[in-house]
Amino acid sequence: MKRMLSLGAAVFLGGTTAACAGALDKSVATSPPAAPYQQVSKLVPLPDFIPGLGQLFVDPATLPAGPFLAYDRDRKLVSTIYMIPVADLAPDKRFDNLKAAGGPVDHVDVYYNAGHPGVAVPHAHVVLWHVPESGEARVAK
Amino acid sequence: MTVTRRRMLGLGGGLAAALALRDPAEAEAGDVVEVTMAGTGDGSRVWFDPIGIRIRPGQVIRWINRDPGNAHTSTAYHPSAFDRPRRVPEGAAGWNSGYLLPGEAYEVMLSVPGVYDYYCIPHEHAGMVGRIVVGAADPAGRPGGGLPEAALRAFPSVGEIMARGIVRRG
Repeated sequence: MKRMLSLGAAVFLGGTTAACAGALDKSVATSPPAAPYQQVSKLVPLPDFIPGLGQLFVDPATLPAGPFLAYDRDRKLVSTIYMIPVADLAPDKRFDNLKAAGGPVDHVDVYYNAGHPGVAVPHAHVVLWHVPESGEARVAK
Repeated sequence: MTVTRRRMLGLGGGLAAALALRDPAEAEAGDVVEVTMAGTGDGSRVWFDPIGIRIRPGQVIRWINRDPGNAHTSTAYHPSAFDRPRRVPEGAAGWNSGYLLPGEAYEVMLSVPGVYDYYCIPHEHAGMVGRIVVGAADPAGRPGGGLPEAALRAFPSVGEIMARGIVRRG
């Protein structure tokens, strides 16, 4: 995946930094994660496995921001993703205390996405990788 | 595997018009003209390719999703599809492909001459729109308004389509 920005996301996410140091929640370590998470491709018309992201799960109550949990083809968690509409990056809107649901974070990518079913407006993907940078290849295709 | 759905729109007189009209600036393809739904790997850019095309009345447009990480639609600007402003010729019906997953396709036959504007539902605000000229149209035609600014900015002009036949955006 093309790296767009890997610094500053923890600041952007407010209270996330503390959560990043937490231990991995075993209930989400492998897919499918425990309820209330549901497979995204069964909620909206998207491919079951999205190149660059993986197989996604989300608690529908948290849409559109997430967190989305992303798994590789071996059903192992690789990242926690937030999807923040560009229009919501405004003075009267905040996203505080978002949790890194997948546990310890190795590095963070932030990049623009034009939209897709489920979040049908331009938005930012904030990807909290739980694997080293070399591990991104596990969901590349 | 490619899955295709097809609709025939505005059939009246289409075949006769197709036989009568040939122009070098119209798409050279056969009876089916393909438009690709595409996107970058990270989803930062999405587009129809070509974004503008001129065809003969009675030709079929076939949209196919070749974006491996996203779903797309081809949806006409027409009151019958989500009560959007009419941006197809009088007498022509609208269409909505529904979401097409990677490898899926959708076809419509267009026979009423004029300008047809369409968009992708989840990507309209990112400027994923397209324009088809069937037969001939006023090069200065197609009024704006009533759409997101990103969509209005993205349309190629009718004049450019009339002159070049196919308009692509990289």
